[in-house]
Amino acid sequence: MRSPSRRRVTAMARRNLLVQMRNPGHWFLLIALPVVDGLLFGSIGVAYGEGDGPVRLLVTGILLFHLIWQLTLAGSFGLLEEVWSRNLMNLLATPLTEREFLGALGLVGLVRTVVAVVLIAVVGFGFYAVAPDTAGWVLVPSAVILMLFGMAITFFVMALTLQYGDSAEVFSWGTLVLLMPLSGFFYPVDSLPPVLAAVAQVIPLTHVFEAVRIGLADGTVAWGQLGIAAVGTLVLLGLATWFLDRQLRRFRAEGWITRFT
Amino acid sequence: MDIETGGPIVRATRLCKSFGETRAVDGLSLEIAPGERVGIVGPNGAGKTTTLLMLLGAIEPDDGTVELVGCRLPAARSKAMERIGFAAGYLPLPDKLTVIESLELFGTLYGVADPRPRAVEILGELGIGHLAGQRIESLSSGQGTLVGFAKAVIHHPELVVLDEPTASLDPDVALRVRDRLEWMSSEHRATLLLTSHDMREVEELTTRVIFLRAGRIVADGPADSIVADAGYPDLETMFLAEAARLREKAV
Repeated sequence: MRSPSRRRVTAMARRNLLVQMRNPGHWFLLIALPVVDGLLFGSIGVAYGEGDGPVRLLVTGILLFHLIWQLTLAGSFGLLEEVWSRNLMNLLATPLTEREFLGALGLVGLVRTVVAVVLIAVVGFGFYAVAPDTAGWVLVPSAVILMLFGMAITFFVMALTLQYGDSAEVFSWGTLVLLMPLSGFFYPVDSLPPVLAAVAQVIPLTHVFEAVRIGLADGTVAWGQLGIAAVGTLVLLGLATWFLDRQLRRFRAEGWITRFT
Repeated sequence: MDIETGGPIVRATRLCKSFGETRAVDGLSLEIAPGERVGIVGPNGAGKTTTLLMLLGAIEPDDGTVELVGCRLPAARSKAMERIGFAAGYLPLPDKLTVIESLELFGTLYGVADPRPRAVEILGELGIGHLAGQRIESLSSGQGTLVGFAKAVIHHPELVVLDEPTASLDPDVALRVRDRLEWMSSEHRATLLLTSHDMREVEELTTRVIFLRAGRIVADGPADSIVADAGYPDLETMFLAEAARLREKAV
């Protein structure tokens, strides 16, 4: 028999999946948007690229974007859903712990990520002959770093949601959209205006995508770029964890729950 | 003293809580014995909700300690909550789930091994078995309140905490809800702690009333006793006099 803690994690994950399945908006974000993005970026690559390099870059870029974005959406929308349905106080009065709550949202995030990535992979391979593993082994460490980065963004958005409620919604989908042009998902950051190119260097995602581009070009794994990305991501994750923990303490100390009842 | 050896089910010692310059709870101590049915009353701003939320571990006191069913908060909050039920008349259960799905969710969170049969059983006991397949958002206020009670007792808790259980219900529905609540309370023999602005409800449902003013206990005992001691005919008159006194003080 599973432990009470694991049962609580599974129950909360099931609740989130049921709620998302019954919300057309989530179907759009989970099914329609990855397919549209796959078609959009694949077609741009075919239309304006020479050879198969650009289409491989764009399809791989959007696939990795959804890997991290769907994870972030699951986490931040998971907490927002409890805010919208005024369910936070009901949950606080149960044995559910913060870690179990986060664990459940992590499971939901993995499900969303797998669905979106598979859809883009099918579109990429079916319509543009771009295999999802076209960049080679670099994708494995890159995916791990991206997921850790997604976790950091999620913690940051959740921490803001605890304080500002649904006013923080924009950060749940907007943070990565903001980071996308700055971190070179689809192009080397040298293409950015010089001041922004300098800013891009401190964003860990920039180095992941640089490594992916190198992998796409010659199949090698750019461990140097990945190392910089990993260190930056771990630092960011540490900061985000600290911020979330601090916000949770303030939530109880300053009685923020009364804003959600 | 642990609850198993006859200690109080709730023990709060010198609780203090301020929000900015406002002192919401000011050195409040209380003990509730197993089986007691306690109502916390007082005008708006008296500290009822803050006290309740501190007792549930949702708000951390600035000073003082809370022990629930023998577990010290906040360290043992999760363990304590396995034996406590909570419902608020103003808080719906999460929408987009059916009644049975919602009860299964909370049953599992509370540690019920097989929550579905238990959910069906409790819905039947409350006379709302026909609502099992309905979505939460389609329920009327009264039905939602009863489903909230079902959630609060699905795990046979030793302490049931109810915040404004009949808030926003019309008098007829409130009466029926109170009937069910009274039945449920005696059937499950749980200790009851409730807050309400309906003084008749408090008199009917509780055996002990704690009257708060500015975050302090100003009266504590059976309703008829504290009313008589204060020189009022009933709890409602006492409450209104207190509220008027506060208004005059504010002016």
